[in-house]
Amino acid sequence: MTANSRIWHLVLILAIFSAPLVIMYVYQVIDSIAQPDPGSLVPGAIDLSNWRFLWERIDTGRPSIWVVTFNTFLFASTTAFLVTSLSATAGYALSRLNMPGRPYFLGGLIILHAFPTITLIIAIFIILQFLGLFDTLLGIILVKAALELPFGVWILKGFYDTVPWEIEMAGVQDGASRLRVWWELVLPQVKPGLFALLIISFLSGWSEFVLPLVLAPGSSTQVLATFMNAVIQDDATADFGLFKAIGMFYSIPVIVIYLVFQKQLMNIYGGGTKG
Amino acid sequence: MTSRMLGIGFLTPAIISVAIFFLLPVLLTVVFAFTNMSTSTGIMGGDYQINSEQLRSVSEIGISEESVELLENAGFQITEAGLTALAEQFGDETAEELREDYLGETFTARRDLERVLRNLDEPIRQTRDRKTAADLFAVTIIGERFDTESQFRAALEKTGVDPVDHDTLTEFAYTGWTWTTDNFSLLLELPSTLRFAANSAFYVVCTLTFNIVFGLFLALSTFYLPSKTANTFRAIWFLPRILPPVLYVLMWNWFTWDNGFIATVTGWFGVPPQNWMMQTTTRAWTVVILINGFVGASLGMILFSSAIKAIPTSMLYASEVDGANRWQQVRYIILPQMRWPILFMTSYQTLSLLTSFEYILLATDGGPGRSTEVWALAAYHTALNNYGGNLQYGLGSAYALVLVFIGIALSALYLRFFNFKELLAKPRIEQ
Repeated sequence: MTANSRIWHLVLILAIFSAPLVIMYVYQVIDSIAQPDPGSLVPGAIDLSNWRFLWERIDTGRPSIWVVTFNTFLFASTTAFLVTSLSATAGYALSRLNMPGRPYFLGGLIILHAFPTITLIIAIFIILQFLGLFDTLLGIILVKAALELPFGVWILKGFYDTVPWEIEMAGVQDGASRLRVWWELVLPQVKPGLFALLIISFLSGWSEFVLPLVLAPGSSTQVLATFMNAVIQDDATADFGLFKAIGMFYSIPVIVIYLVFQKQLMNIYGGGTKG
Repeated sequence: MTSRMLGIGFLTPAIISVAIFFLLPVLLTVVFAFTNMSTSTGIMGGDYQINSEQLRSVSEIGISEESVELLENAGFQITEAGLTALAEQFGDETAEELREDYLGETFTARRDLERVLRNLDEPIRQTRDRKTAADLFAVTIIGERFDTESQFRAALEKTGVDPVDHDTLTEFAYTGWTWTTDNFSLLLELPSTLRFAANSAFYVVCTLTFNIVFGLFLALSTFYLPSKTANTFRAIWFLPRILPPVLYVLMWNWFTWDNGFIATVTGWFGVPPQNWMMQTTTRAWTVVILINGFVGASLGMILFSSAIKAIPTSMLYASEVDGANRWQQVRYIILPQMRWPILFMTSYQTLSLLTSFEYILLATDGGPGRSTEVWALAAYHTALNNYGGNLQYGLGSAYALVLVFIGIALSALYLRFFNFKELLAKPRIEQ
């Protein structure tokens, strides 16, 4: 709307409210590379010793950061891939294919989408023990993928809904099977959706904390979230410089993805994901 | 390939994983809530065993003193099984002689049996050997492990314990989990139940109010700002949503702990360093609500911003032409249009705040004391992580079951009330 001369009032109020967050962000960076002396907020000299976790074990009995990072990457990327591929087929089936019970599947999907999955964690904990998948990466990958699935199917179904029917009609009339039509004609149309879902489920896996904490507590299956939490819990002196350096390292992919895809992310999160 | 077959084929993998990790857990939560499953009972079933430590508490469950005596020291009986073992170790003749004279006989005292063994024609001469031999005929079930109920009952029979006590003892000896409704009566009895429920209600109401009011404020104010300034603020407020929770809460820890930001700044004015998160209940609640509130307000900002953008600009221009000021424009044009997004945000967040415990777990872990322990966190602590070490899956499931019911009821209700298809608007992703 039209500019207003008193707009700076608004900016001032917003700035005051945003101050805690901005201070946190700024000192998140400062503390990790140039920690101020106790009782002061002026950055000290550049000091990379907080990053020592990258080239040595911070204490014995803790897995190497690179193993943990690899675990996290494996967990997040496999989950993202599984969610995206299963949603790509299920979303298409729900959007386009005529099959028995479709309305029930759709209703079920909507309920699952709203249902708080975290309440099921006790039962899932015991199911994984039964299946022998407790404390394995495979176990948490399967669980995480399954729990993300309703969201993924919902998003991709929305994308399929916008693909014009004419494209499929043309393919079918030329004698292609529905499978081939989907693979060669429809799937390329929803590429942005597949890509967005891939990114979002990767981010979600990368940040996941409770599932690895409960379902894979061993040190060989540690991911960055549980690794960082364990370091914070075990350290009696509250060495924030170290914590923040680990936090910086942990959040690099998130920040990069955020900077590159900021606009798309805001849009898809605005589309009503879980919060 | 027909579209029907393809549809089923396409849907099957998703259905299988949903069945294993959604439907089965819902059912199992119900099932587990009616068991006393815990770390000590295991989850796979169990065997039958009474150890010497448990023996002390046997009389408390109504077993007579005599039976307890018999369980512990049922004496010795000359049985075929014992004789076979004896024959192997001490020769056939000794065993044969014992069988002829004493088969079926019982000795209450070890001394008596050992005397018999010494006085045989083919005696067992060493004292130590006699002890070993006597042990072959010992009738006691303490410390012995039985795989099935019938084995245990047979052993009970042998001890001569009054049959009246058999059922109680069998139940007592079972080490696996059993069906019970105790979890629910316990929930009704415990004073903490009410407290956790009250904590949850307080937490949800406060956080939700903060989310909506502040989310609206963010959305409205950034709407009126020049786009560059607005984008800066949007970026600041969007980050909490995508930063990993562990890192986000760490930043709050730094902000509030006794060597953190607030303590440093207040320290300049002579306030002694203290933990601004955990010192008092009020502070703990404030921080918990702010931590969740900032994340929620960020979602609110995004949702409300896109709803405001959807309002036709002609309406806004028209109001300006009619001489409405900013406040009137917000009050009479924008807010009425925000009814559905606010309602959606309220219902959605109610459910997710009620059941999520991640941020509270990371920040206060329910403390100080258990003052910020919400219902969902209590379920987690009971079943998956407590200081006692005995994880009570059954009781935890009873806690969780309450949430599962609320979850199903509310999400089904939302399905009816809202046209979810419109509310969860189609993703609008720029290409």
